[in-house]
Amino acid sequence: MIGAARERVRVRGPSRAIVVIAVVSTCALVGVHYVKAVSQLGDTASGNSALSFDDREIAGGNSIVVDQRAPYEARASIPPDSTYRVVVGKRLLDRTPLTEEFVTTWLTYFLMPRRPAPDAHWVICYGCDSSTLGDHYDPVWQDGEGISIGRLP
Amino acid sequence: MNAHSIAGLIALNLYLLVVGIAVLFGVRGWVSWGELLRLSGFAYMLGVAATGVALVTELVAGLDLSLLSVLATGLVLAVASGLAGHAVGHSLPRGRSVRVRLSGTAALFGALLIVYSEALFRSGRLAGLYEFDGWAFWVPKGEAIYFFGGLDRQFFAELPGQSYPPLVPAFEATAFSFMGSADVVTLHLQFWFFFIGFLTAVIGLLSPHVPPILLWPPILLLAVAPHVVGHALQEQGDFILDEFFALAALLAGLWLIDHRPWELAGVVLFSAAAMSSKREGYLLLACIGVAALVASSRQVRLMWPRLLLAGTIAVALTLPWRVFLHVRHLSSGGAEAGGLGLFAHADRAWPSLRLATSATFDYDIWLIVAPLMLLAILAAAMAGATRLAAYASFVVVLAISAFTWVTWAFPSLPITKEAALNPIVRLTGSLAFASTVLIPPLLTSAWRGRGSGGIA
Repeated sequence: MIGAARERVRVRGPSRAIVVIAVVSTCALVGVHYVKAVSQLGDTASGNSALSFDDREIAGGNSIVVDQRAPYEARASIPPDSTYRVVVGKRLLDRTPLTEEFVTTWLTYFLMPRRPAPDAHWVICYGCDSSTLGDHYDPVWQDGEGISIGRLP
Repeated sequence: MNAHSIAGLIALNLYLLVVGIAVLFGVRGWVSWGELLRLSGFAYMLGVAATGVALVTELVAGLDLSLLSVLATGLVLAVASGLAGHAVGHSLPRGRSVRVRLSGTAALFGALLIVYSEALFRSGRLAGLYEFDGWAFWVPKGEAIYFFGGLDRQFFAELPGQSYPPLVPAFEATAFSFMGSADVVTLHLQFWFFFIGFLTAVIGLLSPHVPPILLWPPILLLAVAPHVVGHALQEQGDFILDEFFALAALLAGLWLIDHRPWELAGVVLFSAAAMSSKREGYLLLACIGVAALVASSRQVRLMWPRLLLAGTIAVALTLPWRVFLHVRHLSSGGAEAGGLGLFAHADRAWPSLRLATSATFDYDIWLIVAPLMLLAILAAAMAGATRLAAYASFVVVLAISAFTWVTWAFPSLPITKEAALNPIVRLTGSLAFASTVLIPPLLTSAWRGRGSGGIA
């Protein structure tokens, strides 16, 4: 019987030692990182709740849209069942490195269910040359940064 | 971002739990109400997987996804599962008592998990949508389904990620329906439900077989890993793919040991759901399939036909989406380099392997999940639990090979862990999750040794 027990220890000893090492090291790491994680999550929650409604809703768009009023004005002006197009140009007075490349994609998300369409009457001009839109472009909103929202007949 | 939206999400997830309990009755049943309580997380994940696969099939078939159609889908799933369970002889327990035994270790770690879950919930409650993939296509696709009912021709052709299956957008649209608006802020909490459901599923499945001290620490280790803390609630398909993949990997591992049919049924369902979440699902599930086939190679006649049948059914459940892509002439999402293109980019092979391995073992991303997995495999192999150890080894090796292939076969991806440029970190999540769920049974096998019957 003692021989059998010795044999079990001989066979299982190394694997059990590994299990003990694994459990102890895991528990130690969990102890350290648990506190860090809960603290980080708390900081994230505080940061989120400190945001204004606009900052929170626009979120990733804040690094793209330049002027938060533009997407809200677009939502207010363009009826939900209408189409629109975004025309991007070089005439923005202020821009981020992401504005020209991504503003169209971001507005597709933000303005849903409005559909983007190349021949749409509603135009969101992001630094575009409005003279290229024709004589009848009628801006319903514009800021001083080169962004406007308007309608073509 | 208000109580009304949160109440809507709670209703949606209770609905998924009810559907899942019916599916659990169909595939497994339960012998006591305490057992049902223990398996409630697993039931919830079954409900998510079954409903998700059904919703994708309905969308592909051209049905509109509305609150009514979602509820009807759940009803059909529940009734069908109930009838299936009845047909195979499952019945409800007679007694009404619910006995739950909780050890001191389980109570301690359980309390830690509850505090963590609350912190994670608060972090997501008022989170904005910052991730590029989130606002570029995951959420817009969900919005398109919510606003237009089905797979809108314009948006599903023009938005990036054409080939990505719509399980996640379908759930996002369903969440919008339950919340009453396209509230992309509160939507983060839907991913909290998925993640917590996954953790409780694993705990419920393993707790009868694994001592608490070998079960809880690896799970908490994953929960506090930097990548999980920073990204678990992203409104994208990565984490839900990881969760489905890990559950499929766990059930396949358990089935290799004790051959219970319900485990294989679970593998089918979670595999189909994983493949309906992201196209990488096919690659990852192939890893599980091959690993299971190799690990069971001494019982080819008994196990291979069942494994192959399970794999065939899982793939068949995802075929409607592949047909849909073909019919609408959308991208099928094949590798950039093509079949033989790998040889033209042979110089990327070694850097891709190095990147995949370093991301898997990166302490700042996954802490020590991968080294722990290797230790657990070694210990289990030394103790004679060779089948489980072989299976887990092949899952690791094949998954790292798959990650390597992704960077190698897409030459436009730079060799970097930068999330905006290469998805390697998100990809390695699948292996981190699968490792986490396989470590407890491996350690248990190592502790008990082969002679004591391993984890079963």
